[in-house]
Amino acid sequence: MNTSLIGELVKLRYKLLWAKTRSRNGRIALFLAGYLLLVMVIALLTTGGIGAGVLAVRSGKAEKIAQGVLTALFLEAVLAANILGFGMSAVFSETELRRYPLTAPDRRIARHLTGILDPFWFLFLALELGLAVGLYVLGAGSFWFGIVAVLLLFAANYLLARVVGLFIDQMMQRKGGAPVLMMLIMTLAFLPSVVAPLIKKNPAIVSAVVQRLRYTPPFGAAAAMIHPDLAGVRGLATIVAWILGLAALLVWLEKRPPQRQVAESVKIEWDSPFDRVGALFGPQMGPLVGHWLRFYARNSRTRTLYLISLPIVALLTFQLGHLWKMPHSLFVVALGMAPMATFFGTSRIAVNQFGYVGGAFRRYFLLPTDPAATLRAASYAAVTIGASVLPIGLLAWTIFVPYPFDARMLAMLLCTGLTSLFVLNALGIWVTLFNPRRGNYASNFGNDLSLGGNILLIGSGMMVFLPRLLYKFQPALVSPESWWMFLPLPVLALAFYLATLKSAGPVFVTRREKLLAIVEGRN
Amino acid sequence: MDAIRTTNLVKKYGQKLAVENLSLAVRAGTMFGFLGPNGSGKSTTIGCMTGLLDATSGEIELLGQRFTADNAAIKRRIGVMPETLGLFEPLYAHEFLAFVARMFGLDEATTRLRVTELLAALELTDTSKTLSEYSTGMRKRVAFAAAVIHRPEVLFLDEPFESIDPAGVSLMKQWLRRFTEQGRTVFITSHVLETVERVCQEVAIITRPGKLVWQGDITALANDGAVVCNGQEFRALEPLFLHLTGERYADLKWL
Repeated sequence: MNTSLIGELVKLRYKLLWAKTRSRNGRIALFLAGYLLLVMVIALLTTGGIGAGVLAVRSGKAEKIAQGVLTALFLEAVLAANILGFGMSAVFSETELRRYPLTAPDRRIARHLTGILDPFWFLFLALELGLAVGLYVLGAGSFWFGIVAVLLLFAANYLLARVVGLFIDQMMQRKGGAPVLMMLIMTLAFLPSVVAPLIKKNPAIVSAVVQRLRYTPPFGAAAAMIHPDLAGVRGLATIVAWILGLAALLVWLEKRPPQRQVAESVKIEWDSPFDRVGALFGPQMGPLVGHWLRFYARNSRTRTLYLISLPIVALLTFQLGHLWKMPHSLFVVALGMAPMATFFGTSRIAVNQFGYVGGAFRRYFLLPTDPAATLRAASYAAVTIGASVLPIGLLAWTIFVPYPFDARMLAMLLCTGLTSLFVLNALGIWVTLFNPRRGNYASNFGNDLSLGGNILLIGSGMMVFLPRLLYKFQPALVSPESWWMFLPLPVLALAFYLATLKSAGPVFVTRREKLLAIVEGRN
Repeated sequence: MDAIRTTNLVKKYGQKLAVENLSLAVRAGTMFGFLGPNGSGKSTTIGCMTGLLDATSGEIELLGQRFTADNAAIKRRIGVMPETLGLFEPLYAHEFLAFVARMFGLDEATTRLRVTELLAALELTDTSKTLSEYSTGMRKRVAFAAAVIHRPEVLFLDEPFESIDPAGVSLMKQWLRRFTEQGRTVFITSHVLETVERVCQEVAIITRPGKLVWQGDITALANDGAVVCNGQEFRALEPLFLHLTGERYADLKWL
C-alpha cells in the first residue's frame, strides 16, 4: 500500500478545506471560529456521552443503556449521512485519483479514508468515545476494550452509511428501482404499527428480538465496553465481522456501477411535459420555467429526495405519532411534516439555485429578458414541484390514517403545506443570493450546501417539533376545532413569497458578478 | 455606421483594473479580431459589451444605440458565444438550442427548423448524449449554434476556433464570411493568429490591463502585403503581436 501518497492526499483534503476560506481575510477568522465551535460541540458531545455513561452505571442498566444509545447514534448517523448528505462527499473522485501513481486498492482506501475523516463523523465519534469513557470512569467497563469498540463501531457506521447510499443510488438509476425503494421505505414506515399489536399480544417477542440484535455492531460495541472478558471479545468480533462484510459489499457495489441506459438514438421531442407546464406561466416566462423544471427533474439527487420525501414523512409521522402521547398525535406530527413534504425534494437546488449551473450562469444575462425573470422562473419551478406533493400527501392521509374523515384536518394540513412551501422557497431565494455555493450537479452523495442552505434545510426539518411545542403551551391551536385559524397562513406566506420575488430581483442583478465568481469557482 | 463603439471603457474588480480607458470602433459588416495575451481583459471587455458585466465607467454603443445590461431590445439583436460556452450540461443539444431560440422570440416552427438544420450542419446528430457527455469540440459547436440561431446582427465569439477540428473551423469561417457579406458584424477573440490573419479585416491588440496598444486594418496580410506599426513593417500577425505585447523567454535546463 502506498501509505505516503495516501497520507499526502489526506493532508490535501484538509488543505482544500482550509483553502476555501482563504479568499477573504474575514473568512479565515470565521473558519477559526467555526472550528472552535466544532471543537466546543465535540467537547459538549463528549460530555454528553460521559453523562450517558454515568447514567447507565448509576441506573444499574449499563449495558442496556449503552445498547440503546449506541444503536440510536448508529442509525442517526446512517440517516443523516444519506438524507442530508453529511460525511458522504467524495473529496477526490476516482478520475482525479487516477492521475496519481496509485493502484486500484490504494485509490479505494484513499477515497474512503478522506471520506471518513469528515468532521461530521467526528461528532458521532466524540459521543461514542464519551460514553466509553463515562462507563470506564465509573468502573463499569474496560478503557481499552471501550476505545477499540468505539473505533470499530465508527468504521462500521461509515461503511454502512456508504453501502446504504450506494444501494439507494443504484436503485434510483435502475428501471423500476424508485418504486421498489419507495415500497421499502413505506414498509419501514408502517412496520411499527404492525409490530406494536403483535408485541402487546406476545411480549416474549421483545427478548427474542434483543437476542438477535446482539449480532449488530452497536450491541457488539456495548458488550465490549461493559465486559472486558470473552463476551467483550465476542462483541468486538461481531463488529469486525460486520466491517469485513460491509467492506466486501461496498467493493462489490462500487465495482458494479449502474449502467446508464443509453438509447442508440433519442427521438427529438419538441413538446415535453416541462415545456407544457412552463407554458402555463405565459409566453414570456414559459421557456424559462420549462427550462428550470427540466433542470430540477434531471437532477438525480432531487429525483431521489422528491420520491422518498413522502415515504419518509409517512415513516416519521407513524414513528413519532406512536411516541408522542397526546390526542390526535398522528395529526399533530403531520402538521409539522409539511415543510419536509413540500420542500425536501427540491431543497438542494431551491436554496442554491445557481450553484449547479456553472459557466452557464452567464447565459441568463445574455438572454433578451430581465435577468430577474430567471430567478423567478427557478423559484416557480421549485414551488410547482413542491406543490405537486400536496394532493398526493392529502390523499394518502385520507386513505391510510386511522381517523374518521375530517375535512378540518385536511384544510389545516393543506394550509401548513402551502405556508411552508411559500415561506421556505422565499427564504431559499435569499440563501441563493447571499450564501450560494458552487456544487456538482451530477453528484449523488455529500452535502454541498452552504451554511445558510444547511440552516434552512435542517431548520425546515426541525419544524416537525413546532406543533408539539404549540400543543404543550396552547393545545387548542393544533386541534381540528381551530381549523379556521390556519386559513390566513397561506395568504400571508404567499404575500411574503411575492414580496421576496419583487425585492430579490434587483438584488440578483446587483450581485450577479459575485454570484458569477462563486458559481464558476473563481471565488 | 459603427456596429460597436466603446468610449473610455473602464472595468475594475474592486481596486484591480481589468480594462483601462478602452475606446474602440468596429464598422458594421467587418470581421474584427480582438487580441491580447492571457489575462489582458478580452473576456472582461466582451462581458461589458454584452451585458454580463457592468462597466465601471465609460460608454458602450451597439448598433447605434447606447447599451446597458438591461437593454433587452439590443440583446435580441446580438449573439454571444461566451468563453465558458455557457451550456446547461444536463440538457440535450436540441433542448438547449430550442430553449435559446424560444428565449430570443423565435416562433415554434422556425425554432424546430433552425435547430434541426444547425444540428445537422454542425454534425451534432448524436441525440442520445447530453451536453455534459459531448467532447470539447462538440460543446463548442453547440455554443456557436446557440449564438447564431436567432440570426443576430452582431456576433461576439470568444475563442471560437480552439478545440474544433479543421473541417468544423472551415465551415464556421465560411458561415462567418457570408455573415459579414450581408452587412453583419463579427467580433472575435482568438489566440490562433493565423486564423485571425486570414478571416479578419481589422484587429485591435490590448495588453494588461485591458489597454489598447494598436488597432488597424490587416487585410494586406492576407494578400502577402505588410502592415506598418511604430515605423516597422510586419508581414504576419504573430511578429506584430509579439512586438506589441512583448516576447517571453525562459530556459528550464532540467526540461
